[in-house]
Amino acid sequence: MFFRLLMESFRRQRRRKALAGLAILLGTTAVTAMLALATTIGDRIHQELAAYGANLVVYPAADQLEVKVGGVDVKPVSGGAYLHESDLAKLRGIFWANNITGVSPELPVQVLGKTKNGVDVDAGAMGLWFDHALGNGGTTLKTGAVGLHPWWKVVGAWPQEQSTQAGSAEVVIGSALAQRLGVKASDSIQTSGQPGDGSQAMTLHVVGVFSSGDALENQIVMPLKAAQQMAGKPDAVRRVEVSARTKPEDAFARKDPDSLSPKQKEIWYCRPYANSIAYQIREAIPGARAEQVRKVEQSEGTVLKRISGLMWLISGAALLAAGFAVSAAMATTILERQAEIGLMRSLGASKTTVALLFYTEAGLLAVFAGGLGYLAGSGLAAWLGARIFANGEPAAMSSLLIPVLFPVVVTLALLVAIAGSTPAIRRALTTDPSVILRANA
Amino acid sequence: MSRLNMTGILRRSLIHRRARCLSALTALTVSAAVATALLTLYADLDAKLHREFRSFGANIIVTANDSKEGLAGDALSRVKEAVGPDADAAEFGYAVATTDRGTPVVVVGTDFAAVEKLNSWWKVDAWPSSTNPNAALLGQRAAEFVGDEQTVQLTFADRPITLHGVGRLHTGGDEDSRIYLPKEVFTTWTGAKPSVIEVQVQGDSAKVEDAITRLRQTIPAAKIEPVRQLVEGESRIVDKTHALMYGAVLLIALTVAVSVLATLSASVLERRRDLALMKALGGSQRSLMTMFLLEALTLALGGVVAGYVIGSVAAWVISQLNFHTATLPRLGVIPVVLLLNLLIAAVAALLPVRVLRGLEPAALLKGE
Repeated sequence: MFFRLLMESFRRQRRRKALAGLAILLGTTAVTAMLALATTIGDRIHQELAAYGANLVVYPAADQLEVKVGGVDVKPVSGGAYLHESDLAKLRGIFWANNITGVSPELPVQVLGKTKNGVDVDAGAMGLWFDHALGNGGTTLKTGAVGLHPWWKVVGAWPQEQSTQAGSAEVVIGSALAQRLGVKASDSIQTSGQPGDGSQAMTLHVVGVFSSGDALENQIVMPLKAAQQMAGKPDAVRRVEVSARTKPEDAFARKDPDSLSPKQKEIWYCRPYANSIAYQIREAIPGARAEQVRKVEQSEGTVLKRISGLMWLISGAALLAAGFAVSAAMATTILERQAEIGLMRSLGASKTTVALLFYTEAGLLAVFAGGLGYLAGSGLAAWLGARIFANGEPAAMSSLLIPVLFPVVVTLALLVAIAGSTPAIRRALTTDPSVILRANA
Repeated sequence: MSRLNMTGILRRSLIHRRARCLSALTALTVSAAVATALLTLYADLDAKLHREFRSFGANIIVTANDSKEGLAGDALSRVKEAVGPDADAAEFGYAVATTDRGTPVVVVGTDFAAVEKLNSWWKVDAWPSSTNPNAALLGQRAAEFVGDEQTVQLTFADRPITLHGVGRLHTGGDEDSRIYLPKEVFTTWTGAKPSVIEVQVQGDSAKVEDAITRLRQTIPAAKIEPVRQLVEGESRIVDKTHALMYGAVLLIALTVAVSVLATLSASVLERRRDLALMKALGGSQRSLMTMFLLEALTLALGGVVAGYVIGSVAAWVISQLNFHTATLPRLGVIPVVLLLNLLIAAVAALLPVRVLRGLEPAALLKGE
């Protein structure tokens, strides 16, 4: 009997059910979409903020003091300490390896030589990775300087790392230097090695002219291997920029890990703070010193906190509004059916049975419409995310559907539907059936 | 039907069906509150976001063409005049001195108060007080190359100076290898003048471009460049957040509107019997529609009044929680909110009435 009542109610009152269902569907769609966007906004904004440059920097602990003004080395350090390029693969083995999204080692060298037209060249150069596969047995990370500096622009092409051979390499030249030397793409520069320090003579094929908006425009940029060859320092790296996805710093992050109790230290270690990642890099690479670039890291933290905070608050507001709207719609659908309740009661149905019937209806509606709303909301969030943060790459299925949200959203829909129905059901049940039936007669 | 009677019916309908009117009013209040809150927040979202980007520091760098000569003495005041009072600016002079251990080190003369405002990411043990003329900040790497961090002894072109180090500076950038001291002390010691002014202009890239054009006119003898990654990145992120908010506003507005529509139109449909009775007593289709409309619009108006207050409070709370600044209620959103609510109410009232138009009063009253 109970099930027949339930079935008939859905079969016969399609319009009313459709309206209440639509309200729940749209409410859950909005809430799912907002929650899905709020949970993924951190990663998306991090990707955007990557344009600001690396947030960690690694250099040899025993380094000499840099004498740099406005990005130009006033007194280039000769000698000094270096890191090993081969050690960088260890970055893929640290606890937060998957949070490291970019690695860019650099080695400054001096280029002394002549252009094809016989102009003397005495310029700084920087050895960098361009499209390097950094791997430690497992999956490799494609990374390089261009990825970490998206504001660099090149006319021509970036150098191919594979084209570096003994005695020749592809390079790009800074726009200011290119103008000064009268060099353009497809020209070449012949350098002379200095006897005694292992440096080699090389032919540099210019494949492009780049602009960076800073002092690097007065330099030549070449693959790291070529710079090492030219300076006669195989495997040497002066400085490494690392871009990592981090958790904004809080009071706990600023603690000195060595002063914490072992248990606290483990918690500190296992949180993706910039400080913890820097700590792990120091552990992984011997003789290295890792620091957060506070200008980038601290400011990113602020911006990230504000934007995701805004999204969460708006999601909260959406939840509240959808909750109110859905419970109002639920209450209406029950108030409409007072006559039905009166009839059932006068035919001998107990209050419990009637309440159960209405709650079951509300619950079924909530689960069904909520499930659909979850799907629609996930789709909408993916579409909105792709539209707004279009990076050219299609969204992966994993970022499209967030399974954790499903129980959350359906539970919310259930709660709201039941809470919305309760006052109306109670009202209808406390009123004398004869009064209801008479009022409708 | 006279005007008086219409008001009478309206009043009675609102009073006697209190429960249903209340749920309709709640729905309309929610829709007005949501619209008010989101529109109020949305209106000054860009300004608020750009304010947050201040923490990235300078986005325009003014550099003297001749770094030996330095910038003219009045350059800073001219820069401030050109970019307006909202912008922050600080000047820097550079020289290379030698520490007591014989290591060359970059010394920078600047105004600590201005730097503290401009570069909020600097982590210092203590900012030098303005009363201590020889106070200096030591970059954390530079500090390892001086004999005594409290009394720092430096030499520039055979001229020695003793500075009082007040603390270390941590930034993770070039600043770590430098020693900062007050501008006046720097100039009398080295004879060098400030050669760089860092300027922070709040706003999108168009505003920054504007400021650069003005600066180039005011100070032709200097190189004025934007910090490319900052200007590009900031505009992109603000635009995207803005678009995201826009999507959210539309989505939430749609949800609430449909729910309100469902509630209201159900409450109209429910009154088929009233409608039939009035029709049977001689009410015209038009007067019935007017009545339903008036009822819905009264509720909508009530919803706007309550919703505006609630929504403004919600916007204020959100803004206070997230941006730590108040967003004051904006009267400008009232027309939009009012229009939206009246539209929802009108559609909700008229939609079912159109369905009911064809109904036969006799059949309905008989209980079909």
